[in-house]
Amino acid sequence: MAGNKAGSTRNYWLTFAVSIALTVITFYIVAKLDTSGNFLIPFMIVLAIAQALFQLIFWMHMNEKGHLMPIIGIATGAFVALTAVIMALYWVW
Amino acid sequence: MSAPHSNEAVNGRLETATLEGRNKVLGFWLFLGGETVLFGCLFATFLALRNQVNDGPGGMDLFEFNIVAWATFLLLTSSMTSVMAIVEMHRGNVQMMRLWFIVTVLLGAGFLGLEIYEFIHYLNLGLGFTVSAFSSAFYTLVGFHGAHVAFGILWIALLVIQSYKKGLTTVTAPKFYVAALYWHFVDLVWVFIFTIVYLMGRVG
Amino acid sequence: MAQGHAVKRYTGLLDWLTTVDHKKIGILYLLAGGLFFLIGGFEAILIRIQLMDPDNTYFVGATFNALTTMHGTTMIFFAAMPIIFGFMNAIVPLQIGARDVAYPFVNALGFWLFFFGGLLMNLSWILNYFGATGVPDAGWTGYAPLSSAHSESIGGVDFYVLGLQVAGIGTLIGGINFLVTIINMRAPGMSYMRMPLFTWASFITSALILFAFPAITVGLVLLMFDRLFDANFFDVVDGGNPVIWEHIFWIFGHPEVYILILPGFGIISEIVSVFSRKVLFGYSTMVFATILIGFLGFMVWVHHMFTVGLGFTANALFAIATMLIAIPTGVKIFNWLFTMWGGQISFTTANLFATGFIPTFVMGGVTGVLLAVPSADFQFHDSYFVVAHFHYVIVGGLVLGFFAGLYYWWPKLFGTMLNETLGKIQFWTFFIGFHLTFFVQHFLGLLGMPRRVFTYEKGVGMELGNYISTLGAFLMGISTLILIYNIVVTTIKNKRVGADPWDGRTLEWAISSPAPEYNFAQTPLVRGLDALWHEKTADDGDGKMKPAEPLGEIHMPSPSWLPIAMSFGLFVSGFGFMYRHYEIAIIGIVITLVCMFLRSVYDDHGFHISVEEVCETEGIEVPKSKAEEAHS
Repeated sequence: MAGNKAGSTRNYWLTFAVSIALTVITFYIVAKLDTSGNFLIPFMIVLAIAQALFQLIFWMHMNEKGHLMPIIGIATGAFVALTAVIMALYWVW
Repeated sequence: MSAPHSNEAVNGRLETATLEGRNKVLGFWLFLGGETVLFGCLFATFLALRNQVNDGPGGMDLFEFNIVAWATFLLLTSSMTSVMAIVEMHRGNVQMMRLWFIVTVLLGAGFLGLEIYEFIHYLNLGLGFTVSAFSSAFYTLVGFHGAHVAFGILWIALLVIQSYKKGLTTVTAPKFYVAALYWHFVDLVWVFIFTIVYLMGRVG
Repeated sequence: MAQGHAVKRYTGLLDWLTTVDHKKIGILYLLAGGLFFLIGGFEAILIRIQLMDPDNTYFVGATFNALTTMHGTTMIFFAAMPIIFGFMNAIVPLQIGARDVAYPFVNALGFWLFFFGGLLMNLSWILNYFGATGVPDAGWTGYAPLSSAHSESIGGVDFYVLGLQVAGIGTLIGGINFLVTIINMRAPGMSYMRMPLFTWASFITSALILFAFPAITVGLVLLMFDRLFDANFFDVVDGGNPVIWEHIFWIFGHPEVYILILPGFGIISEIVSVFSRKVLFGYSTMVFATILIGFLGFMVWVHHMFTVGLGFTANALFAIATMLIAIPTGVKIFNWLFTMWGGQISFTTANLFATGFIPTFVMGGVTGVLLAVPSADFQFHDSYFVVAHFHYVIVGGLVLGFFAGLYYWWPKLFGTMLNETLGKIQFWTFFIGFHLTFFVQHFLGLLGMPRRVFTYEKGVGMELGNYISTLGAFLMGISTLILIYNIVVTTIKNKRVGADPWDGRTLEWAISSPAPEYNFAQTPLVRGLDALWHEKTADDGDGKMKPAEPLGEIHMPSPSWLPIAMSFGLFVSGFGFMYRHYEIAIIGIVITLVCMFLRSVYDDHGFHISVEEVCETEGIEVPKSKAEEAHS
């Protein structure tokens, strides 16, 4: 999976470009488009998660071998964090 | 997995050449898993309280999107430069690695400066820490992230200074590597902060 | 090889203060945890004295609230947690064939952070007379807004917040240490599915620590900001919401109870198997059940909050998730029973405690399922029924497990054997005392006796139950004194036992008692589940572990003053925050940061134990080739 070194460097810059693009899109739609929050908020969250995945996989080298435990660790942490967020959205009155 | 004394590096990399190095990298990843829960709970608290502005100002009245956009750009770029530092480390080029890390630290300091300016600005507009539940939650979440950035700046700066004397060895390489991981993580948290705190505050 | 850098090796007290040896840290954890166990136990006896008869006036109002709060907090965070870490430190590296833990330095740091955190909180009893106003008295759950009100007065819940925060950091890094140790440092052949059950339980417990403790860290930060800096997280008037504290506390708190009980399960699994002289029945289902209990532990926290009024959906969802836990737990119970079935059982003290554990824990589990029914929970909530339930699982589960583990592993820790006769007397006094104390509390709860209330009226049928309960508590106190007497007598007699007094099955019994500094002269080669038993019974086995490497120099980490200094810095800073002298708080944090700086800048090269020294310790001759090497 690791590929040659030039290939990884290209992926790093690709991730940078993707991150910038996703960030610009998010800022742009919030600033310019007059869409309702019902659509916009989930869409923004999806873009943020996409960006996070790109950075985890390429910048933090999760695509390289020997990263099973890091993936389990971050995924479990994200799962527990998600339960906390669900709690905040639905079970706090 | 592997025997305690095998010196087999994963992917032939310096940071995982020794058992100590592999331990350090793995342990740091697990620590980041714990940090994910930490920020998850802070986000949860913020989400539960974000509309409780009391008589004080809310996000819509305050947020300076120009500053936030510039801060985002600085931090994102610094995360990229720290990747390049690790690329140079894998090539064995200490000078270039150091240079990229110095750029990372400078960009991080720029981010922190903007955040401090931003906080002072909001304070002047009447958003004190004790004004409302929203203000407490906002400063705590964003401030926790800011404290992480500040710690990262000091940490990476200290490692850069050490690199002059110690160079690149199986002892120092894991340190650089986990510091870069930390920095990426701090950037990653910021992605969610600008989305959930700032932009969602604008959408309503 | 470099012949070792000159490293100062301390002796005596200095050795204990600077040690990074996991076996010594394990003993430190057991000692400190034991001390806090005595303090918490003493508080429990005082509570029972107050409740012995109706309308007693020994400890009323705030004093009684402080006693229940400090009893609960001390027992869970400063007695149970360190004793768990004590066993993990003393045993896990030996069971997986490792020379050390992954981070010896961090290990020492974790101990000292816990110790100073516990000290900070318990000093409230004394500082109460020196300017602080009160001992924590908002319950071990510290529910807001009772706990969160901003005030200018010093002390009270601040001791709870700051003590737990400091200790919590120590626990978190300890958990990471054991995760990495178990993942990366297993001996050759020690695959995941050959790990002893105690190691598996420690692994899952460490994972729960990693993902649960950050939640309480956040909760305590919010509480601290509310109390010290007038923030508004839980202050309803300014838009805050106390329900957030309850959620965050239990998102941490429920995994915490599995953090407590899983190592107990692990200890029982080892002991039942060894003293039945049978391989553990259903090993793989045991492992799977442990993982499943750990996972479900994160999905049930709302069952502590059924009466908050979160609605039918939430209550039903969490009720079902809670009841699901009975399935993997039941699997474990039956596996223990089937392990004993047809075995050559010998009832040593350790096995008595383990056997006593099984029915006692089942009773706690059954009341747990009753409490999981929301409609029934509305009746049980905050009554002595709940008190009986969680003491059945924590004392009947965990503490019986601890005693079992203590008698079982004492030879490995100290090279001596606790007196079996005294041990059996201790078991029966504790077992009978425990059931006397807590069994009647089920009925007191059903009669309507609320928890955390300092008295009850005459003539409503609660006198007899409370009287019996207090007598039982005295009996448990006597039992604890017998244990202390046993430890003192055993230590004075100092009669040495061999490496393997129980005819054990797992790796820790393959090395001398107590284990040498480097654990294994040669890293062992593991050839099956129950590694040592395999060598005792396999056709090509001779009862000794096969080495996986030739004899050689052994690299060891250096002792260090930094862990204790770093923890002391946070201890100082805790007092700075408490007394609102923020300059002192900053000084404390600077001490910690300077220690971190020193740790980063000065690399620890450690030292080497020479082949000659290893051979001398092991009582074997120096191999010829090595002797020649040394001369050349």
